Amino acid sequence: MKEIDVFRQWNRKRHEYATAWQKRTGGKVMGYFCTYVPEEILHAAGVLPVRVLGSHEPQNVTEPHIFAMFCPFCRDCLAQGLKGRYKYLDGLMIAQSCLHIRQAYTSWIKHVPVGFSYYLCMPHKVQSRRAYPYLRGELEAFRKAVEGWTGKQISDKALREAIAVYNENRRLMRELYDTRKQAEPPVSGEEVMEISLAQQMVDKREHNEALRKLLAALPRRKRDRPAGTRLMIIGSEDDDIDFLHMVESLNKEQYPATFVVDEHCTGSRYFWNDVPEDKDALMALSRRYIERPPCPTKDWEERKRIPHIMKLARDFGAQGAIVMQQKFCDPHELDTVAIRKELEKQGIKTLFLEFDVTVPIGQFRIRVEAFLETLKQEDLF
Amino acid sequence: MAEEFWRWKENRWTSPETTWKGARTVTCGVDVGSVSTQAVIMADGELYAYSNMRTGSSSPESAEKALKWALEGTDLTRDKLAYTVGTGYGRVNVPFANRAITEIACHARGANFMYGPTVRTVLDMGGQDCKAIRCDEKGKVVSFLMNDKCAAGTGRGMEVFSELLQVPIEKVGELSFQVDQEPPPVSSTCVVFAKSEASGLLRAGWPKNKVLAAYCSAMAHRIFTLLERIGVEKDFAITGGIAKNVGVVRRLEHELGLTVATPKVDPQIAGGVGAALFAKTLVEKGKA
Repeated sequence: MKEIDVFRQWNRKRHEYATAWQKRTGGKVMGYFCTYVPEEILHAAGVLPVRVLGSHEPQNVTEPHIFAMFCPFCRDCLAQGLKGRYKYLDGLMIAQSCLHIRQAYTSWIKHVPVGFSYYLCMPHKVQSRRAYPYLRGELEAFRKAVEGWTGKQISDKALREAIAVYNENRRLMRELYDTRKQAEPPVSGEEVMEISLAQQMVDKREHNEALRKLLAALPRRKRDRPAGTRLMIIGSEDDDIDFLHMVESLNKEQYPATFVVDEHCTGSRYFWNDVPEDKDALMALSRRYIERPPCPTKDWEERKRIPHIMKLARDFGAQGAIVMQQKFCDPHELDTVAIRKELEKQGIKTLFLEFDVTVPIGQFRIRVEAFLETLKQEDLF
Repeated sequence: MAEEFWRWKENRWTSPETTWKGARTVTCGVDVGSVSTQAVIMADGELYAYSNMRTGSSSPESAEKALKWALEGTDLTRDKLAYTVGTGYGRVNVPFANRAITEIACHARGANFMYGPTVRTVLDMGGQDCKAIRCDEKGKVVSFLMNDKCAAGTGRGMEVFSELLQVPIEKVGELSFQVDQEPPPVSSTCVVFAKSEASGLLRAGWPKNKVLAAYCSAMAHRIFTLLERIGVEKDFAITGGIAKNVGVVRRLEHELGLTVATPKVDPQIAGGVGAALFAKTLVEKGKA
C-alpha cells in the first residue's frame, strides 16, 4: 500500500532522509538516545531530531568500549556511531534513562566527536511533585544551550507551535492505533512498527501529512489474511521488524495472528500522551515528560506502567501478550515478572522472549507457534 | 573404523499385539528432531509400530527414511495412512505430512498417552534443546519454557561427553553412579567449556566415572533451574533421549524431591506419538 510504503522508505533509508533534509533546509540534525528527549525544543529551533537506532547486524567494534553484558541495543547503537553511519549529525544528545544507553552516548562522543553534545538530566524520581520544577529548570538550561548552538532565539511562540505539531502527530498516531481495535485491523503490527519508527526520525510535519493520507485511505483497505489471534507486544526498545514479520506471516490457516497494540518506547510509549495546556510552555513540556507512560527505569515506587498496560490490553482486545526485552536489560527484567503476573491474572497468556542484535527466527518461531497453540487448540482435542 | 561411543543405537519396533487391519484410523506422527527422527504409526490410537534413528543433514530425507523403516517388516503400506502430522525441528519439511504441529504440543500429548492422564509436567530433553511443559489432564499445553540458545543440558552435550570419555552413551548414566563420593558438578554450563573443564579434571587424575558424575550432576542442576522457573506439579514425566540416562534422571529426582513417572514405551518417541494422536483427532473431527 503506497500510503504505508512512504513510512517504510523513511525508516529503511533513514540516513538518506536526514542528509537530504539537511541539504534542503540548511538546518541542523540532532541525533538522540532515548525518548525522554524533549524534541519540541529542538523542533522550535529548526533542528531535526533523529533517534539513534541499531542496524541489527553483527559487529566487532564496540567490545573495547562497552560491556558485553550491557544490552545488545546500546552496543548496536554505539556501533553505528563508531562505523560512521551517522557522520552527518551536527549534534548528539541523551536524556537520562539507563546506564547502558548512557554508556553508548558517552563512548560515542568520546570516540566520534560531534559539534554539539548534550546530556539532559531527566529525573528518575518522576513520581515526586518536585520533579516538575526540577525538569522545567533542566529544560530551560537545554533551551539556552540549543539557542547558543544554533545562534537562534527560541521564542515562546515557536515553542507553542512545535508543541502543536507534536501533539497533532501524537493524536494522529492514536487515531491510527484506534483502527487496530477493529475485529479485522486494517494494518499489521509490522506496518505500524515501520510507521512509528519513521515517526522518530523524520520531520513531524511530513509525518503528519503522511499519516493523514494513510488514515483517509485505511477505511477502504482489507488485508489478505485474517487477524486471527490478537496479540499485544510489550517491552523494551524494539525495532525488530523481522520478528513481527515472522509472527504475522506464519501459516495463516494454522497460526493466524496480528499484533494489535504495543507498549514499547519505540512504539506507543513514545507518543501516547500529549503536552498539556499550560500558560508556561516549559512547564507544559515538563508535565508531559514527567507524566508519560514510564520507562521501567522511572516507574518507582508505584508501578504505573502496569495499569497502563492492562488498559491497553483491554481496549485493544489482546488475547495473548508477547513480553520481550533486550537481553541484559535489568529494568525491564525486573518489570517483566509483575507484568506477566498481572496479565495472566486477567486471563491473558504471555510468552517471554529475550532479543539480541539479530533475531533467531527458527528458535523464536517454535516458541511463538507453541504459544499460539496454547491459545487456540480446539481442533486438536 | 574406531568405535564411536556417542552413537546411540537406532531401533524399530512392531507391536506383537496390535494390528492395523480392521482399524478405523491408521495415523502417523513423524518427529524430525535436530539429533533424532522418529516415525510412529498408530492404529485407532494404539501404538502399532515405530522407528527411531539419527537425523541426517536433510529433514525430508530423514523423515522418508524413518517412515520406510517403521513400515519395514509390516504389511502396512503408506497409502493406508489416513493422516500424518509432522513435528520437531524439521516439522515443516516432512514431505508426506498433512500438517505440522509444534513438538511442544506433541510431547505433552504424547506424554499424556505414555505416562497417563495424571501427568502435569513434562520435561522434553531433546538433542539440542530442553523444554519444560505444563499440561492438563488431556495433555493440552498450559505453559512452557525452553532453554535459550545453548546445547548444555541436552542430548548433544551428552554425546560430546561420551566421546570425550570413551564411554558408550548408553552406559554413561549407570557408570556415573560408580563413584566413592558424589563430586561437585562441573561449573561451566556451555558444552564446549564443560568439555575443557572435564579434560582438566581427567588430567588432574579424576577417574572417568567421577567426571561423568560431575557432568550428569551439572546437567540435572541446570534442568532443575529451568523447571523451577515454570514450577513442577506432579506427575512429572521426562521425554526425549536423556530420559534414558539414569545418571541425569536420578540426580534430577533427588534435586526435585520427587519421582519421575516410568514410561510404558521408549520415551524418545513421545513427540511422534503425540503427533500421531493429533492426526487421529483431526481425522475424527473431519479436519483432515
